[in-house]
Amino acid sequence: MNGLSAIPDWFALRWANARPRSRLVIGALVVALIGLIGLTPKSFFGVPLAWPYVGLSAAGGWGRSGRGFGPMVFLLLFGFAQDASQAPWGSHALANLLTYGFSAMVTQMADTERTPLLSFALPVVTLFFGIALVWLTASISSGHLVRITPMLTAYFATLVVHMLISPLFNLRARRVGGGVSV
Amino acid sequence: MPRSSGKGYRQRPLRRYGFFIAIAGLLALLLLQTSPRLSEGVEPIRTAASDQLFHVTRPSLIDRISGASAKERRILELEARVRELAQYKALALTMAERLEVYEEILNMQGEPGGAEVTARIMAETDGPFAEALLANAGATNGVQEGYYAENDRGLVGRVVQVGNRSSRILKVTDFNSRVPVMGESSGLRAIMFGGRDGMGRLIDLPEQGQFLPNERILTSGEGGMFPRGVVVGHVRGETDKEVRVDLSMLTGQLSYVRLKPTITITAPEESPVETDLAELSEEDGS
Repeated sequence: MNGLSAIPDWFALRWANARPRSRLVIGALVVALIGLIGLTPKSFFGVPLAWPYVGLSAAGGWGRSGRGFGPMVFLLLFGFAQDASQAPWGSHALANLLTYGFSAMVTQMADTERTPLLSFALPVVTLFFGIALVWLTASISSGHLVRITPMLTAYFATLVVHMLISPLFNLRARRVGGGVSV
Repeated sequence: MPRSSGKGYRQRPLRRYGFFIAIAGLLALLLLQTSPRLSEGVEPIRTAASDQLFHVTRPSLIDRISGASAKERRILELEARVRELAQYKALALTMAERLEVYEEILNMQGEPGGAEVTARIMAETDGPFAEALLANAGATNGVQEGYYAENDRGLVGRVVQVGNRSSRILKVTDFNSRVPVMGESSGLRAIMFGGRDGMGRLIDLPEQGQFLPNERILTSGEGGMFPRGVVVGHVRGETDKEVRVDLSMLTGQLSYVRLKPTITITAPEESPVETDLAELSEEDGS
């Protein structure tokens, strides 16, 4: 049992010591995996399931570590992959990037780490901002206001998934002995 | 990880302004797509990308091993087939109604009907005929000698022996079997018997005219052994002496057959109309 209970600790230690680039790649792989599963038909006892905009989740999470070139490239790629279905090229990428920028800006302006309420509210606001952008882009491109209900269900799905996987989007590597290195 | 306030950003302006450049680029891309001509040019790229994404989400290895993907594919195929057949069914019902009306207008005597029996094929027997089936319906079920058997695709054969609870069906593939047939399009008549290769052979071909390639072969109803218009097969090929026929019944299942009666039309002299002799003599006297 000791061996089994040590596995999460081992992973936590490995993750804590992982370099930002490794964290970025792992986060990107998780996004790609969830996105690919999202392409398959999803239903629960015949009820269609809302699938999260996991690209937005990554944008919000990576944005909290400040702006960087690598996350931007990944967000662009995810956005274009999402656009492959029906949306105009660049619409999801734009929403991802703007959400990323918004998240980075708010984090830079406010001390989210020391304010728990802000730390909780930031993803709620950021993801809502992202979903609203997607809705706006879709409405502009289609020439009429698209339905809000599917966007809201997708928003709540994104929020739930974000709360579960948001630690994977933390790119700030902590060295043993304290301090944050970038 | 490089950050906006880091050393790398100060040294590399592309990285520093990359975010804004990307945003501007994406906005430009979105604006460009408002042009219909450019959108048409972009569509093939979208199609190719969608195809690739679909390719990635094809059935997983687990689905392939468990056979779930094959079953799902089969279900989809069957659903599509049911949808297609539903259209044909609606069309057939309409046509049947119209045919009924036409027959009524023409005062036409249609094919006589009768009690039908669905029977399960129990065994293929090695009786006096090389190609015979044993069905689990007999005299107690109303089956009589001379009934013809049909499966979901076409004519199977004719009942040649009836027991209380079983009957023997001579298949049309038997060498001894003789079925009067006709071409659906050409209207030519011939007699079909079973060949050694499991195909039908047409003999007694008309001197003039030829069966059309791939033409459907139906029973002609001549001789009264079979009703007219039962599907037998379609023309496979023609040689100098005979025409080969692909039998439709072989493409369907042979576990169950429908046994149907053939009403024999008797000659007038065999069943004359009985008239009163007194009436006749009165008519002669007047």
